[in-house]
Amino acid sequence: MIGIEECLAEAMAIPGALCAMLVDHASGTAIAGQGAADLEGSAAGLRECYRATQGGLAMSSPDGTVRIEDVIVTTDHGYQLILPMETPFDGPLLMCLRLDRGRANLALARLRLRSISHQLIAP
Amino acid sequence: MADASLEATLTTLAADGATGALRAGRAGTVFLDRGRVCYVECAGTPGVEELLAASGRISAGGVKSTRQGATGDGGDTLVRRGVLTRGELQFCVLGATLDASFFLFGGSGAPKLRFRDGDRHWLGPHWFFDVSGLFRECRRRSARLDRAWASAELDNHPITPRRHVRARHVVLSALQWEIVLASDGVTPPAELARRIGRSAYSTLLAVRELAAAELLEPPEPAKPSEAPKPNEPPKPNEAGKPNEPPKSNEVPKPNDPPKPADPAQPAVPAAPREPAEPPGSGDSGPAVLPRRTNRPGNGGLVMSAGVPATSGDPTDVNLLIRLRDALEALQ
Repeated sequence: MIGIEECLAEAMAIPGALCAMLVDHASGTAIAGQGAADLEGSAAGLRECYRATQGGLAMSSPDGTVRIEDVIVTTDHGYQLILPMETPFDGPLLMCLRLDRGRANLALARLRLRSISHQLIAP
Repeated sequence: MADASLEATLTTLAADGATGALRAGRAGTVFLDRGRVCYVECAGTPGVEELLAASGRISAGGVKSTRQGATGDGGDTLVRRGVLTRGELQFCVLGATLDASFFLFGGSGAPKLRFRDGDRHWLGPHWFFDVSGLFRECRRRSARLDRAWASAELDNHPITPRRHVRARHVVLSALQWEIVLASDGVTPPAELARRIGRSAYSTLLAVRELAAAELLEPPEPAKPSEAPKPNEPPKPNEAGKPNEPPKSNEVPKPNDPPKPADPAQPAVPAAPREPAEPPGSGDSGPAVLPRRTNRPGNGGLVMSAGVPATSGDPTDVNLLIRLRDALEALQ
């Protein structure tokens, strides 16, 4: 089991990782981050991104309830991964990882991020 | 030291690399570890003990016995026993700290500050904040609240979800769902937060978002700028003297007419609770506002302007007055 800083360090060790951060979804607080130029601004933006995805899917899903396992946004420069983690406290906690499109392996990054999150918060 | 503000005192202590506990009267305590804030508790927000018990991982009794047996490293004991992961413990501590800071630092008045060198919290240090970063985050949080719904009128008002929603469907977050389920038309947000084991800030934010989505009943004498229905005839008595809300014995009056005029709010027991109102609006503060009595007059102005005579637990009212003062100070 690891703490928040170790968790971010491991996320940054994923091939192609440019920026990793933890965001508290309920309050929008940027808890910690590595590689971000503007931690607070990025955290606020990614929180809104997740929130919009959640709301949009709830409206458009034919089966009613959906649970988001992760959000992948592909941009012209890279990928943005947002992984929500349920916690026993306020939450969810969002683990956000920005990846370089040329160097990253999206499938690998997704699996690694999930495994790191399980070390941070007991699944 | 009693004359200095909390922020100035903390900044000095941080520069000195102090370790210990700074008590801010009875409102709360800030724990420092080598110049960094490692925990904050506030009388109005759920602390780690309550959050731990509410998480279901450990009973309230388990928390108590760990606390009693702890020698400054209670958190490590919990992690070793497998109650929490290291990350969960950090998240619990930092969440409680941010929540308490927001309400403690936003408090009005000048609580008596007393620093006890070397005092530690039983959990031990598990997450650290720079003093400046902590205050910056508190300011971000108030701005966030105002962006969600720029009115504090529901902040210390009992939460009453609307029975009928105009939209075809609504999307609620998990927290909003819990709030709607737990709301009883009597409990204000801060008290509800404690009951459902959530942070006071995120509960308040969720309530403001619910209000923005028009899912909550507005308080009885709604502000003209925000009331969608101007046909409510709430203040016939007060029309000629709109600038006199602070007089405590006049507060109940304007509140009576709207009740028959607005049958949609049967659950709000405004009348029986009116006796709890004067502390905010009169000079009788000390009796009912145990924690912060320095500025009863000012608090009264704020209270009476935005919130009618319906009020909850005086503790929560006091807390929210301070929050509101802080929000106004930022404008």
